[in-house]
Amino acid sequence: MRLSVPSAQRLTIGKLAELADVSANAVRFYEREGLMKVPTKTDSGYRVYGDEAVDRLRFIKRAQHCGFTLSETQALLQLRDEASSCCNDVRSKVIEKKLELEARIKAMKAMSKSLDQLIADCSNDTRPADDCSILAALSGTKEPCR
Amino acid sequence: MKVEVLHSGGCAKCQKGLPALRAAAQSVDPDLDWCELDILKAIDYAVELGVLKPPAVAIDGQLVFATLPSVEALTSALRARMRH
Repeated sequence: MRLSVPSAQRLTIGKLAELADVSANAVRFYEREGLMKVPTKTDSGYRVYGDEAVDRLRFIKRAQHCGFTLSETQALLQLRDEASSCCNDVRSKVIEKKLELEARIKAMKAMSKSLDQLIADCSNDTRPADDCSILAALSGTKEPCR
Repeated sequence: MKVEVLHSGGCAKCQKGLPALRAAAQSVDPDLDWCELDILKAIDYAVELGVLKPPAVAIDGQLVFATLPSVEALTSALRARMRH
């Protein structure tokens, strides 16, 4: 459930984390990694955040769900923060990520196909592991049994 | 020969340089087949070629330029292929 943020609210780290549905440790981690701005502190040393911190955290979470790494997310945040950047800059980053994901999907499909072959070549009987066709095929020492 | 430019549709930088590249390529080989592909519509092919980011240029089904080349770079790559 998404919680609405009252305007001009000063949020503690716990409240911020709750609103953005992340842990307080995640907020501290993003600060250390430079994705979140270091907040002001109260006289007693507590971090206090503005409303914009909730948006930023939600942005980070959504970007991660789309497969962006921390550094890529940081680059997207920079584009969001920079007045000179345009929509096309952002689109290019997304297309690069899509190409990367598609390449990984292709590689993983090839791996899965190799596994299919190993499984198909296996007689699935009770022979000892020394005679296992899958182990033999992976070792490259024996022809897999048919 | 076939030149394929894989670009992200709407990229002003890509669109700007393409007419000059096309004219230069066709001056090297008048029979040259020039194709401009929207990378999102040809994503499987782009992955097969190994394109990491648009724009990229393939010649005869091989990724040759990972960015948009200069006119000189493209024409010399085409001439080199013609010699072979």
